Amino acid sequence: MPTSSKSLAPQRLPATYRTEVVLLVVVLLEWLYFNSVGPRFASLENSYDILRHSAEIGLIALVMTPIILTGGIDLSLGSLLGLCAILFGKLWRDAGLPLPLAGVATLAIGALAGAFNATLITRLRLPPLIVTLGTYSLFRGLAEAITHGVDTFTNFPASFLALGQGRWLGLPAQAPAFLAVIVGIWILVHATAHGRAIRAIGFSAEGARFAGIPVSRYTTLVYSLAGIVTALAAILYTARLGQAKADAGTGYELFAITAVVLGGTSIFGGVGTVHGTLLGVAAIAILNNGLVHARLPREAAGVLTGALLLLALSGAMVPKMVERLRAHRRTRTASPPTPGSPAPP
Amino acid sequence: MKKLILYLLALSVFVSGCSRSSDTAAADGTRRPVIALMPKSKGNAYFISVRNGAERAAQALGIDLIFDGPTDPDPAKQNEIIENWITLGVDVIAVACENPEGISTALRRARDRGIKVITYDADSAPDARDFFVNQATPQGIGYALMDEAARLVGPDGEFAIITASLTAQNMIEWQRYIEERRSTMYPNLRMVALRPCDDLKDKAQSEATALMAAFPNLELIMNICSPAVPGAAEAIKQAGKVGQVKNIGLGLPNENKLYVHEGVTDTVILWKTEDLGYLTIEAAAALANGSLAPGATTFTGSLGTFQIQGDNILLGEPFKFTRENIDQFDF
Repeated sequence: MPTSSKSLAPQRLPATYRTEVVLLVVVLLEWLYFNSVGPRFASLENSYDILRHSAEIGLIALVMTPIILTGGIDLSLGSLLGLCAILFGKLWRDAGLPLPLAGVATLAIGALAGAFNATLITRLRLPPLIVTLGTYSLFRGLAEAITHGVDTFTNFPASFLALGQGRWLGLPAQAPAFLAVIVGIWILVHATAHGRAIRAIGFSAEGARFAGIPVSRYTTLVYSLAGIVTALAAILYTARLGQAKADAGTGYELFAITAVVLGGTSIFGGVGTVHGTLLGVAAIAILNNGLVHARLPREAAGVLTGALLLLALSGAMVPKMVERLRAHRRTRTASPPTPGSPAPP
Repeated sequence: MKKLILYLLALSVFVSGCSRSSDTAAADGTRRPVIALMPKSKGNAYFISVRNGAERAAQALGIDLIFDGPTDPDPAKQNEIIENWITLGVDVIAVACENPEGISTALRRARDRGIKVITYDADSAPDARDFFVNQATPQGIGYALMDEAARLVGPDGEFAIITASLTAQNMIEWQRYIEERRSTMYPNLRMVALRPCDDLKDKAQSEATALMAAFPNLELIMNICSPAVPGAAEAIKQAGKVGQVKNIGLGLPNENKLYVHEGVTDTVILWKTEDLGYLTIEAAAALANGSLAPGATTFTGSLGTFQIQGDNILLGEPFKFTRENIDQFDF
């Protein structure tokens, strides 16, 4: 399968390559700046902090990528994280399940929730934005209803908390899970025919259907995958904080979408890469962490993330604009357009 | 482009190497202690006022103060900032805990790394910090409310209490001390009703209206949740009973200023939030230099001497905001 995807590579690269290079430069500049003002910023320990704090949003951004590649979106993932976190706590504390079993059940619940989104999208032909806007409220509402907004789950055993706070071979304990998901999603999107099918759906769902691609099945796949990985993020989140509460993960879906779009994935689908998303996550995570080390107000993070997004996207547009301008000049010297007529694209 | 990236990479490695050597140089020299202060949320006027006090203390003591906290409702934010502070290597972390259980994890880690931890306003798990700067004990609040009621009404008469809910633990405790003070000091003052307002101003207003109708001899309404103070004030004003029915309660100066100046509300009781910030920083500094250690029974700073109960540093008696002084406070 990997050989067949290569035939598409030359067409795909130029469109997204530039965004990623711009973003890489931005990440390096961030790194250089914060390193020059914060003495401990570049320490290994701080790099681990960055990884630990961005693991959950990173996981959601990773699974958001194939969804956006199909031209869809999932606004419910932050709420699903909250729901999974408290269900995990409930299964363990109230239903008395051992933690590993509660974890597996939580992953299954995440998958079901994702499949529920997909079913509404494929069967009822509703736009993903509307469906997941509904489940965004539904999942969070369920989490709040189950806990009455006040019940929190704490006192997890230390062996479980180590999953979020401990070290594993010197690395933060989140690293293996994070790495596994990175590799898994990267292979799915970039090294299999499934990845091509997902992008094809993003370019044109109808076209993909006529080409014999099972669009509904792929939709179910990407949304269910997002559900499972979000459940995983919920477990890591619970282990990191030592508590599961109904408001866990508030707003994570928007951070994830920002990272994906920052990473060069087109919000209309079809174009984008997993490594771009990772760079997007890194750019936001380094910014959030670095501001503390630079002793700058954290409020700046919102402004700078927004500026970064607009800058990176317009930066990636510059070569295209230059090209367009050149083409425009060429046509003008060849045959001056009549006044008032629109310039050729 | 590739060359540029390689160049930047090389540069970043070089710079990080340089900065690490400067870091070790700074560590052994004498430097100003760094205290990191975290509010529950940054924009809250209550904590802005705490910050003002903290900054004055930091200036007076020659301390590097970092003030930072969440601006969005993500409950994980407090933990992340704490973890960043641990890496940053601050000397003391002082925090008002939004999620006691969750944040204790991060605070314990800070203590493991030798960072002193103090909580103020809202406590963490007791084993996650060295001291808690306690702004008001239930006894202090209960006694202050009852004493103020007696001062306004006299030795005998009728009063009613508006609370948030009949089951809220802290309010039940306050009521216990209000009753204790009443039965021992003012036995002829009678509490005729206790009504919940669900922490809603408009519900408090309708409850107060109903109370005044049901008890024509009512002389005072005591509100023990903050939305009820302006709520009851509005009811008294609309019933035309200003002066006849007194109004006191726990609340913030700003939302009561208007009624206090109109003479509808007599006294608002809380603590001086600036002092809370000042004392927190002073205690944190003392903790850093070793002059405050577990087991101490008093702490003396420039604001005076404070009692320590167990590991709670008590800010002391609640403060009474009245027509004379309320304009000096902005929170």
